[in-house]
Amino acid sequence: MTDELLRLDGLKVHFPIRSGAFDTVLGRSTGVVRAVDGIDLAIRRGEVLALVGESGSGKTTTGRVVVKLTRQTAGRVTFDGRDVSHLWAGPSLREYRRRVQIIFQDPYETLNPKQTIGDFVAEPLVVGGGRLTVRDRAAKVARALESAGLRPADQFATRYPHELSGGQRQRVVIAGALVMDPELVVADEPVSMLDVSIRTELLRLMLELREARGLTYLFITHDLSLAWVLADRIAVMYLGKVMEIGPAERVIRDPHNPYTKALVSVSPTTTPPSSGGRTRRTILVGETPDAAHVPTGCRFHPRCPLAFERCRVEEPPLFDVGAGQAAACWLVEGGRSLPVLPPTGQ
Amino acid sequence: MTAPTLPADVLRDDAARPRFDTGRNLPGRLVRRPDALIGLAILAAFAVLAIAPDLLVGPLQTAITAEGPRLRGPMPGFPLGTDELGRDMLNLTVHASRISMVIGLLATIITVVIGALLGVVSGFVGGWLDGILMRIADFFLVIPTFVLAIILTSIIRDVVGSGAREVFGIRFGLIAIIIVIGITSWSSTARIIRSQTLSLRERAFVDRARVVGAGPGYIMRRHILPNVINLIVANAVLVFAGAVLTETTLSFVGLGDPFQPSWGQLLDAAREVDAPGLGAWWYFAPPGICIVLVVFAFTLVGGALDDILNPKRRQRR
Amino acid sequence: MTDETQLAPTTTPVTPRALGRRQWPLPKLADPAAPLLEVDNLTTQFALPSGAVHAVDGVSFRLDYGEALGIAGESGCGKTTTALSLVRLLPANARITSGSVRLYGIDLVPKSENALRRYRWREISIVFQGAMNALNPVQRVQDQIAEPIQERLSVSPRAARKRAAELLELVGIPKKRGSAYPHELSGGMRQRAMIAMALACDPAIVIGDEPTTALDVMVQAQILALLERLRDQLGLSLILITHDLSVIAETCDRVLVMYAGKVAEEGPVPDVFTRPRHPYTQKLLSAFPNIRADRRTLDVIPGSPPDLRTPPPGCRFAPRCPLAMPVCSQVVPPEVTFDGVRVACHLYPAGSSGQPVPVPLAPPIAAAAPDPAGESVA
Repeated sequence: MTDELLRLDGLKVHFPIRSGAFDTVLGRSTGVVRAVDGIDLAIRRGEVLALVGESGSGKTTTGRVVVKLTRQTAGRVTFDGRDVSHLWAGPSLREYRRRVQIIFQDPYETLNPKQTIGDFVAEPLVVGGGRLTVRDRAAKVARALESAGLRPADQFATRYPHELSGGQRQRVVIAGALVMDPELVVADEPVSMLDVSIRTELLRLMLELREARGLTYLFITHDLSLAWVLADRIAVMYLGKVMEIGPAERVIRDPHNPYTKALVSVSPTTTPPSSGGRTRRTILVGETPDAAHVPTGCRFHPRCPLAFERCRVEEPPLFDVGAGQAAACWLVEGGRSLPVLPPTGQ
Repeated sequence: MTAPTLPADVLRDDAARPRFDTGRNLPGRLVRRPDALIGLAILAAFAVLAIAPDLLVGPLQTAITAEGPRLRGPMPGFPLGTDELGRDMLNLTVHASRISMVIGLLATIITVVIGALLGVVSGFVGGWLDGILMRIADFFLVIPTFVLAIILTSIIRDVVGSGAREVFGIRFGLIAIIIVIGITSWSSTARIIRSQTLSLRERAFVDRARVVGAGPGYIMRRHILPNVINLIVANAVLVFAGAVLTETTLSFVGLGDPFQPSWGQLLDAAREVDAPGLGAWWYFAPPGICIVLVVFAFTLVGGALDDILNPKRRQRR
Repeated sequence: MTDETQLAPTTTPVTPRALGRRQWPLPKLADPAAPLLEVDNLTTQFALPSGAVHAVDGVSFRLDYGEALGIAGESGCGKTTTALSLVRLLPANARITSGSVRLYGIDLVPKSENALRRYRWREISIVFQGAMNALNPVQRVQDQIAEPIQERLSVSPRAARKRAAELLELVGIPKKRGSAYPHELSGGMRQRAMIAMALACDPAIVIGDEPTTALDVMVQAQILALLERLRDQLGLSLILITHDLSVIAETCDRVLVMYAGKVAEEGPVPDVFTRPRHPYTQKLLSAFPNIRADRRTLDVIPGSPPDLRTPPPGCRFAPRCPLAMPVCSQVVPPEVTFDGVRVACHLYPAGSSGQPVPVPLAPPIAAAAPDPAGESVA
């Protein structure tokens, strides 16, 4: 039992682009989408690691690799000390699936409209090849529904998804992830499709469950503010690579990567600008390039206000900048700090 | 740009707002439509005729049991006239409903089962299997159904034999027609179902099933199939109509069985005695009208089902 | 898409209009002394098969020249319906049943559909929620902007195209991207195109319904910066409808907080956001994760908004309010103004001091220690 529950080494996920019938038939590709382009990440037992990034950053693909929904192109996945990179069949895979689960983003889509709630939650038990009696299974389902806050469980179990609200449906999804008693839960934007007033309840539930069951979360989100509130550590991704990683307080309050810094500066806040001393916003120009055309050198350099020659040519590794924080930027090599970013808020 | 029909704003209680058509209460919604009601009524009437023709008009008259004058128009005792053997046209027409409808039903079952199965598997598994199956389907789509049917019927007749033995109350000779219709019609069903399967395959609940360890067989059974059933039903209705028509045509060109006349076979017989030339409208009108009515009814119901399941409607609630 | 994502800086100088009165003629009936927009006791009703729903129930507010007003609230509070009522683009089963909407002092409510055309898109225009995904996929973006210009302003196709090109530049879309099809543009670009369309006839007011939802945070910042720039350059007035309070905090001068079809609180953004009075406003603010705050907290508003077919008696927030008193579920609270902030809550009756009464808020959500550096960035 190591302290690291999950480890990703040099993870790459590349999707070939096939255009046209000939390419499809002949298996040729005209280019590659480098969704995940070499990341090293470790998730410690019991922690909430937030994987933050805008669209196109590769965070969702990373989550899918962790739950073995998407095959990695290269790299190693180590779970609880064992290499599971090539585990794609058999009882060991079943065991892995029992211990690693996912909460998807869209509670309206994750539930099959033709399936009752009870069947949905029971599905992992049915499919996992267990030898449970019907009664045992129903009991586990009921327990899972109750820990997700859906009481009385037996009433919910017979309902269909369309009879439940969005928040309730997401609780069902959580119950479905919990029923096998997993250790690692990947949460892919679990509240982004819910009303603001419901989000907090769901998030509190997730954190309570962490306490009660010793869960570990990989929390994927585009919302840095949410990560700030929930996470122990934050990893910021951009165009398939980790730009910065470290304890939440350090990454938010003292970022060492210009992208992180810009992201923090434009993160929405309910503190109005006119009520004094707000940090200057650094609004980047342009948008994230698509992952089929990744810039050379540091992939952020075309938009980086601090880019210089070396950035265009060589890609920086993650440099340790102390206090458990690491950032990929030539300017912080050797543990230096970033200069002040020029504000561009117009 | 037009405003949305009902702002998300007002539908606060999203429990009352299904995001997509779950096909709930299909029968209920169907009978609310006047076109579907008419179609269903017609089909119900023919179903009654087809289920128990003996109860309604007595056993099928043969050359031996015929007791009427030959080729005479409607008269007391023979409301629809008689054929050239003196058989009561009403009796023949009612019994023909059984033959036509049962053939249509069996052929539809074969078509839909093959088509849906191959459609789901092809769409879900993809890859080379999909490629091969769809090329085969294309072959059957492209070849003129009718020509193929004629050829195949003769071949299958040779294999199966056209004796007096019966299956489901249908003589062997006609079984060939059933098989042939099945072989030539499955491909359009397969394509339709495959299409739906392709989009279902990308849905999040299929992903979720994979993540909890479900294999392809389980997913196809428990997740894909229940969500294409509605489409299968809608398609089956139209397939049924097509099957009746195809059987009619095949019988009309002489591949029917005079001992178990279907409507098409009656039309063939009418042609052979030159009923149109003789002005014996009572010979070909009843079977002809029945065919038209049945196909029309199926089309009404099928169209209504299609309408209800139309994706555009999904946003309306 | 590397170079092309660079946004073109505006090189053509757009005639700056003074923040304040516009320099093109007002409609004939306009009252020059009246405020730009004044909404008084607006009530809009939906006729649903299950009963009538008063989506907007007696809402009043005012918008001055060059001002940006944010209308905030959760889904179902009536904010979108309010916006649609202003331009009268309501669905067939909705009508404004009472109240007035005065633009330059001219009441738009009693006007016929024909008469209203003079005002819609020309004086007030709207960017609908999710409109950026409703662009015609088979028409180039610049044509989609030019077409309505040609129609509404009855100008030649060439003039319309010229205007469309001006607008694209104004919103920061590079010239060569104008000939692209919608699917070739990113979400941010498409939203800029929608803004360009709304500006086509040079309106005085632009309404944006959830203008930045579904956009990445950096793109959101770009769009909000664009809106600010447009306000400066064109003297534009804005009404932003959103559930995201941070958007309002960044961009708006005044905020109107709605709940269940009624106004909860209204006033200047700095006042309402730093000293919220209404319990709903307080809870709503604390339900947003604030990256600049020390404490890592996230509050819960228990329960859900009421069914507008049968709204609860008295204050509609009472069932969920942590400070509810007996009178709250009996009497509808009147709107009272304190120091420029209007609030409808029995905690602040007329004649009282109007001091904000703090609502008990949630404890920190995570077990994490507070920031060791101690000071907030504010």
